[in-house]
Amino acid sequence: MKVSIPQPLRSYTGEDTDVEADGATVEELLADLDRRYPGIRFRMVDEQDSIRKHMKIFVNRVPVRTLDTALEPSDHVQILQALSGG
Amino acid sequence: MTSFTPEQLDRYKRHLFLDEVGADGQARLLDSSVLLIGAGGLGSPAALYLAAAGVGTLGLVDFDRVDSSNLQRQVLYTTQDVGRPKVEAARERLGALNPDVNVIAYDERLEAANAERILSDYDVILDGTDTFPSRYLTNDVSVWLGKPLVYGSVLRFDGQVSVFDARRGPCYRCLFPEPPPPELAPNCAEAGVLGVLPGVIGLLQATEVLKLLLGKGQPLYGRLLVYDALSMEMREFKLPKDPECAVCGPSPTITEPIDYEAFCAASAGPAREESAVREIGPEELRARLDADEELLLVDVREPFEAEIAQIDGARLIPLASVESRLAELEEWRDRPVVVHCHHGGRSRAACEILIAKGFTAVENLAGGIDEWAVLVDPDLARY
Repeated sequence: MKVSIPQPLRSYTGEDTDVEADGATVEELLADLDRRYPGIRFRMVDEQDSIRKHMKIFVNRVPVRTLDTALEPSDHVQILQALSGG
Repeated sequence: MTSFTPEQLDRYKRHLFLDEVGADGQARLLDSSVLLIGAGGLGSPAALYLAAAGVGTLGLVDFDRVDSSNLQRQVLYTTQDVGRPKVEAARERLGALNPDVNVIAYDERLEAANAERILSDYDVILDGTDTFPSRYLTNDVSVWLGKPLVYGSVLRFDGQVSVFDARRGPCYRCLFPEPPPPELAPNCAEAGVLGVLPGVIGLLQATEVLKLLLGKGQPLYGRLLVYDALSMEMREFKLPKDPECAVCGPSPTITEPIDYEAFCAASAGPAREESAVREIGPEELRARLDADEELLLVDVREPFEAEIAQIDGARLIPLASVESRLAELEEWRDRPVVVHCHHGGRSRAACEILIAKGFTAVENLAGGIDEWAVLVDPDLARY
């Protein structure tokens, strides 16, 4: 499925904004992303397996609260990060 | 019926023709007050257009002086303003643009001790800050005072805009409950920003401010707009109120303004205390290099930073590629590795990655290349 990567994490994806990854849940999707782009999962999920508090994961533009949220292959997953600049 | 002077009738003619503004709306704008937190990239275009629109009172909070590196995007200022307090230069410029506007300048840093006092006098707050501590403080105090907060933030080619009003929808902490640790969040000074980007985002904010003041249209309550200048796309996300929000939820755990500096220290502090990363000062590193100790110096900054200044012999591996390039470091697994960045935050994160991957003699250069330049190599360019 299509996954949109926030700007601060695009160094992992060769500056690609939209990438492909698979998984039946958000957790599986992030694991697959990490296989393709090593290290990217840790930027989104902390040591306690919680979504980091400055990140937000949206499925079809609606935020998810937990990693066990189910996904369909047609879903569009979009990841956002807090930006500091002004 | 409000009475306008002939000059005002002429100045605001294009507004008076709009049914959504008209004489009543223009009078309302002249009676309104807006506080801009930050008079930088976002605050500049917003302040100019809000002043031009005839918002009667504009408050500006910024303790910075105009720097020549600001002029690429902070259109409130001219080359002649470099070195002046931003709020002073801004007051002059806005006063010249529209004498109807009363500009109130706060040449101070927004902090826990003054935030409620400053925010309480205004109808709408515009968040144009460039740091997380002031962004969270602005949000929290706006929630407690029941003020609408028009949010904007930018980095590189991306921007975000929303309108937070805890009485009607989510607040900023419903979106991002806590700021990131410094090493996981680059700022514009480190990451760069396309000069026009804060112009676009700041004017979207100004548009939302005018709609709120006029009571017209559909403000961005519960919606987050994300703008990508490179793909020229604007995406909208749903933003529900977080029932567990620490500030605007039913059982808040944050009930007092969090102090600026303390907040910074808190976000950086625990990581440092719990961290197993050994630190080395610039002078000690100099001595060890002079003694020909065999150690690998790794620079985890971005390539453009290395072009500005580098420590001789350092191997450049930007933080984001450390994990994928571990193979290059294999022979140093049990030998001394010293990691550095600009100020020591990114290199600490890199050290943690290396230690987690089994490297046994990793050290972080405290204060980064900047401290190195101060203490060891004064000829090195600082940035």
